[in-house]
Amino acid sequence: MRKSSSYFLHGLAVAVCVTALGAGWQWMDDVESSSPTSDTTFLTSAESAVGGLNVPSQAAPPAMRFEVLVRRPEGPPKIELITNDPLGRTTSVACSTCHSIRQPNRDNRSPEMLDEFHQGMQFDHGRLACYACHNPEDSDSLHGADGTVIAFSDVMILCSQCHSSQAIAFEHGAHGGMNGFWDLTRGPQTKNNCIDCHDPHAPRYPKMIVGFKPRDRFLERDKPHATHN
Amino acid sequence: MRDLSTNEIDIRSHLTSYPRFLGRSLWLATEGSLGFYAWMTMLTALFLVGTNAWAHQVAGGMISTNMTDQVSWGLYIANFTFMVGLAAGGVMMVIPAYLYHDRKMHDVVIIGELLAVAAIVMCLMFVVADLGRPDRFWHLIPGIGKFNFPLSMLTWDVIVLNGYLLINLHICGYLLYTRFLGRTPNPIWYLPFVMLSIGWAISIHTVTAFLYCGLGGRPFWNSALLAPRFLASAFVSGPAFIIVTLLLMRRLTHVTGLDSPIATLTKIIRVTILINLLMVASELFTEFYTGGSHASAAKYLFFGIHGKTALVPWTWTAIVLNVAATGLFLWKGVLRENRRLLLAIACAMAFTGTWIEKGMGLIIPGFIPSTLHEIVEYVPSQLEWKVTIGIWAAGLMVFTIAIKAALPTLNDGRFQSMDQVA
Amino acid sequence: MQPTTDSPANRSLPVIENVTRRAVVKGAFATLGAAAFVAAASPIRNAAKSTTADEFLQQHYQELSVADKRAVIARLEAETKQKYGADVEIGDDRPIPGTKFVYAINLSVCNGNGKCVEACHKENNHDRSTHQSYIRVIEMPKGTLDMEQGSTTYTGTVPKDDKFYLPVQCQQCDEPPCVDVCPVQATWKEADGIVVVDYNWCIGCRYCEAACPYHARRFNWKQPEIPAEEINPNQSYLSNRIRPAGVVEKCTYCLHRTRRGQLPACLEACPTGARVFGNILDESSNIRWILENKRVYILKEELGTKPAFFYYFD
Repeated sequence: MRKSSSYFLHGLAVAVCVTALGAGWQWMDDVESSSPTSDTTFLTSAESAVGGLNVPSQAAPPAMRFEVLVRRPEGPPKIELITNDPLGRTTSVACSTCHSIRQPNRDNRSPEMLDEFHQGMQFDHGRLACYACHNPEDSDSLHGADGTVIAFSDVMILCSQCHSSQAIAFEHGAHGGMNGFWDLTRGPQTKNNCIDCHDPHAPRYPKMIVGFKPRDRFLERDKPHATHN
Repeated sequence: MRDLSTNEIDIRSHLTSYPRFLGRSLWLATEGSLGFYAWMTMLTALFLVGTNAWAHQVAGGMISTNMTDQVSWGLYIANFTFMVGLAAGGVMMVIPAYLYHDRKMHDVVIIGELLAVAAIVMCLMFVVADLGRPDRFWHLIPGIGKFNFPLSMLTWDVIVLNGYLLINLHICGYLLYTRFLGRTPNPIWYLPFVMLSIGWAISIHTVTAFLYCGLGGRPFWNSALLAPRFLASAFVSGPAFIIVTLLLMRRLTHVTGLDSPIATLTKIIRVTILINLLMVASELFTEFYTGGSHASAAKYLFFGIHGKTALVPWTWTAIVLNVAATGLFLWKGVLRENRRLLLAIACAMAFTGTWIEKGMGLIIPGFIPSTLHEIVEYVPSQLEWKVTIGIWAAGLMVFTIAIKAALPTLNDGRFQSMDQVA
Repeated sequence: MQPTTDSPANRSLPVIENVTRRAVVKGAFATLGAAAFVAAASPIRNAAKSTTADEFLQQHYQELSVADKRAVIARLEAETKQKYGADVEIGDDRPIPGTKFVYAINLSVCNGNGKCVEACHKENNHDRSTHQSYIRVIEMPKGTLDMEQGSTTYTGTVPKDDKFYLPVQCQQCDEPPCVDVCPVQATWKEADGIVVVDYNWCIGCRYCEAACPYHARRFNWKQPEIPAEEINPNQSYLSNRIRPAGVVEKCTYCLHRTRRGQLPACLEACPTGARVFGNILDESSNIRWILENKRVYILKEELGTKPAFFYYFD
């Protein structure tokens, strides 16, 4: 065997030994120091009060459960008039102010056909007639498809009868967003009702204008006039 | 005949003679002609400019570079990648000298090893220049910091690069020190390390390639061919640089016997430059024949996309240089005595072509388009150029000093063969 | 310095004349060079004045004792007060046992308005001038999921008729490439699924930024600049405290909120209600219902990163 080959084997042996030693040492180091569950027990709930902020790492007992608060309309809409009454008080008009003294006209199917009030109202909600939702017997309430009277504050029931998939999604927090806590043992959650975002007469969610964009170096933003159609 | 004085080594004498050796080497390294002083002064000035630029970068943040969250690695890492190849290429002298007992190469193989030292020093400087928090360098030290070995390829890179530096420092240091003492080097103290350095040189560039090719989110890099491509271009750029060094040494020093190593290295480049071209062609075919969004980076590099073409002239220049250099190297006349200038030009073309292709032409397109397919271009800032040139100047200084210190061992007309027992 | 004694073995070394004068000249130039080097590097000294020994020597977050953490946080709060003029409270929020956070977005509802981007910017104390945020929204043409055809630079009125919008942020992957590649273990995945960064350990090499397939990581190219009145004072060590220059950061699912039971800021800000967040280990959670009832998909599934972020059309 030539001497250079034996030196080569020497060198190889040195390399293998060094690598094995280093890998073994590092493996031992890893086994000691890394552990996915070790950090959750690092701080007990008593010890995690750092910087004046008490952050309990244990959940409160399940009995303490906060609510999911859904906002509701207060009642039938009232329109404030510009003028005051003769005594100087602010006046407002409810639906029943006019509609309690008139017969409902079921032939009116769109705002264009109304000639005395509600002009200029935008309506874009399929081919629904007014009295499909509004209660002809009591203008301060709504009614469902089977005639059940639905109060304005329960308007979500009315929307749900046709938009059941959105209603189910809403129940599961998948429609309409929320504020507050995901963990109801620590705080409440607030959700909007349907008409907080959707105008019942033109419910399509309005377009918005992009307000905030990252300002990157060397990346030009599109010009604002570039609107596609 | 064999001056094996292992049993007579007096440790106390080493304590005095080693510092003298260092002092003498330093003295030799600062002796030279006016041209030499001009060269070193220029390099010092460039290095100081680079140092100042880097200091500004550390103080003010890396906002003074032109890197962005989309293109988060730039000129520094491009040069780092290339320099690892240059360091690995030094081993191209070691293989013929030690494995194939090329006597003539044997005499000058230390030049390749010294190039490896200078190149690795540059690599380490480029990495430090690229760090956002260089003061936290100690976090990398195993035992003191946290070293994510073996998961992170960067930790492998730290190990292999520093190891390669130590191996070559030991080999060169041992050989020069024994020459200083007038003794014949004892093979047991350097031959195993030389053999180790051959495999280790392959490993440094393979590990550096693995840094990139393991990232699934970067399809331009995520190719099995990346590590072989790195090695092929390393074995072009390394020998090319050494040939130019040897040609300069023929002109500027009294060293003789350089023609055979030059010829050997040229013949090596003839093979490796062809392999390099073949691998580039293979990558191009795979990208452009398949097409699709994974080929966007290659499209950007060669043709530009959406009107962004900053790298297109660079990459075509690299292609032209590489092809022209290949033609020159393959021509048998390039080895003729009166064609030395042509050889130097061929080497410069190969070196520059490889620098572009493996530096900017590899790192930047990996980021363009970004992972969200944004196209943010990258042109290095003036500060980045200053730091880069400063580090190149430092590397050339280290190399010059090292060669200067090693010259006496090469000057000896009756240079005794290292491998007396073969 | 005396010339070396010439033994026969040393004959190869050159003899040098005028050693003393040359030595003085060389020494003078060497001193000049050293002085020039110190001068060239002087900006670092000015920068070093603002750091402390404590900060330099601080250990990795996972090695800190409770007392260490208290001291570190007190120091950070004092530094914030000094640098930014704001009183902040930095907590140390640990994962809630039995949680794994998952996020989902309904792409039929998202209209690309960018309020989530802005909320993240404010909640996480990002640099103001760059409008930095962890969320980027891609405007995609309908009919394709290929991001190559998308654009992040859209503005104007949204939604455009032929487009849908894809917000992308950190996916908190179950097999995160960023964690594998960090050389100093400055980033790791915690028990509730959030991948976090110790900003005082990160060395700023940006390997994680190269490795992330979702452009989730951000680097602090400079010190963030935020007016004192805009700073969100409810902070946490691993999430939205003001980060120093030269370190990497990322979305933490607002762990300073979510580990206290609150919803993340991006979800609260979304006006269309496209975002859903919760604990996947809770059978009654909203996110569980999404994953069980909607046809969800993930981005770049072929990369095997196993994101904890899902998208669906409704």
